[in-house]
Amino acid sequence: MKRMLAVISALVIFLGIAFFNESGENSKSQSMARVGVLTLMHHPALDQIQEGFTKGMKEEGYVNGKNVLIDYQNAQGDQSNLKTMAAKLVDEKSDVLFGITTPASQSLANLTKKIPVVMGAVTDPKSAGLVTNYEHPGSNITGVSNMSPIKDQLKLIKEFMPDLKTLGVIYTSSDSSATAEYKQIVKIAAEQKVPIKVYSISNSNDLNQVSQEMLQKVDAVMVPQDNVIAGAMQTLVKNADAVNKPIFPAVDTMVKQGGVAAYGINQFKLGLLGGHLTASILKGKNKPATTAIRYVKHGEAVLNLKQAQKLGLKVPTRFLQEATKEGKVFK
Amino acid sequence: MNLVVSAIGQGLLWALLGLGLYLTFRILNFADMTVEGTFPLGAATAVTAITHGVNPLLATMMACGVGVVAGLITGLLYTKGKIPSLLAGILVMTAAYSINLRIMGKSNISLLNQKTLFSSKFLSSLPQYFDSVLVGMVVIFIFTIVMIFVLNTDWGQAFIATGDNRQMAKSLGIKTDRMVIMGLMISNGIVGVCGALIAQSNGYADINMGIGTIVIALASIIIGEVLFGELTLPQRLVAVALGSIIYRLLLLVVLQLGFKADDLNLLSSIVLALCMLLPQLEKHLRVKNTIVKGVTRHE
Repeated sequence: MKRMLAVISALVIFLGIAFFNESGENSKSQSMARVGVLTLMHHPALDQIQEGFTKGMKEEGYVNGKNVLIDYQNAQGDQSNLKTMAAKLVDEKSDVLFGITTPASQSLANLTKKIPVVMGAVTDPKSAGLVTNYEHPGSNITGVSNMSPIKDQLKLIKEFMPDLKTLGVIYTSSDSSATAEYKQIVKIAAEQKVPIKVYSISNSNDLNQVSQEMLQKVDAVMVPQDNVIAGAMQTLVKNADAVNKPIFPAVDTMVKQGGVAAYGINQFKLGLLGGHLTASILKGKNKPATTAIRYVKHGEAVLNLKQAQKLGLKVPTRFLQEATKEGKVFK
Repeated sequence: MNLVVSAIGQGLLWALLGLGLYLTFRILNFADMTVEGTFPLGAATAVTAITHGVNPLLATMMACGVGVVAGLITGLLYTKGKIPSLLAGILVMTAAYSINLRIMGKSNISLLNQKTLFSSKFLSSLPQYFDSVLVGMVVIFIFTIVMIFVLNTDWGQAFIATGDNRQMAKSLGIKTDRMVIMGLMISNGIVGVCGALIAQSNGYADINMGIGTIVIALASIIIGEVLFGELTLPQRLVAVALGSIIYRLLLLVVLQLGFKADDLNLLSSIVLALCMLLPQLEKHLRVKNTIVKGVTRHE
């Protein structure tokens, strides 16, 4: 009991001092610029964004430890850590904050209205409540979005399969980027008059059954950027191979694992773009309020030639050339 | 200094989770996994309601309501359905995931630029991070007082007796099944409120925010028990809240020491394990001391 009273009084006294001592410290002069990076967890795609970010900063002349201090924080998948880490980065008076994933960017944006926040890879910044306008964000938030070039993807599928009757779309309903893309797919498919049938799963264990069901009813499958399906791609490929139907994913790794072709976003390039943007804000060249959200404009052409031949698909010459020249071909 | 204030504020808000779990885990002896589902359920309900224009306070109460319902279902599965406690909790937790998606309509909803419990003029005029300290203090104060009061009523005593020895309680004419169900309802209602508060303080609700919450709750309970030793029941509730604050402060220390972020989970496990080992170590050392003393006396 004594110990408890001691702890309580210590806390109260501390809070009392802190209350009146507001912003008394932290006036230390900073010789070096500070950048805080906050990410939700380790994941191949997210790690690539971080690598791209470091490279992008370097290309703009910012090297960690030399002329900029980059503080990388990783919440290890536990969202209760995000706030503590975001507070640490804000409190260290970072000059620019870079958030990888939607919750990380939201945590940063929620803590500061002054320090510029650059979103790295938020698929749908509007529905994440981060910005209201993509062209003129208007506050302290801007960034790069990883929305796939869905128009290009749908066109590509039609080139591969001119006789396509129904296109199956499968995504994970708990994955925010997958959900955002699926909504775009529905919209754009309606514009382009591609008949689609949508299937959703809640975790990777559903994939086997749901995809079997789907593959009976569709001619080809389209997969958005979806972390869960990316991790369980082999299941989908196995089922699709069994009925000889092609898969058109959104990410190069999924093409490699048995998809046919994609206009994918290179995660590294996405990070690179984020690094450039962060550096330009750091230099004072750009202000978040007037900097439009950036996208990787043109997806990278990725082709799995072996899979296309196995399924007896005719690869459009234009795409083959593009993939050989500028993209990737898996043989 | 600001960071410590932030950690204390978060500790106070998360303390509610520990208080909720204390009812089931310590008093009823029921490891309730429902919590990992009710926490995001409360967050999802409150955030969705707020974005639809509901008053934040009312939205938080709604979060309490859905938590109560989730607890009721676990309770019914366990008592009437004879499903083992762990499994009943896991079933409801799993179901809550789909329900959360249904409620939110997507996997993440933001509260940026929305009215929340933290956005009143008075709270935003306070020094940085003091908004969560104040809200946390008020909430913890209210909940602790109410819990102490309730546990001291006849009903509360019957509830405690149910946890201590169910056979005996039954023989005294206590309807133990009903006690367990109500305990789960109250506990999960509190957890729902905690989810709603954390979501409003963080500025968003996310479908995956429940992961690991039961560890956070256990950490508050265990740290509180270990640090403050033998206590009366009301004091124990205060100890849980202090435990939650200390857990946040420990995490902050780990972060401030500049460890690689990758080691965070390992470090927080080590911190918790050390806390749990402390009584054993102390006992061990004390035994040695008495032996040494005994030996010297004989000489």
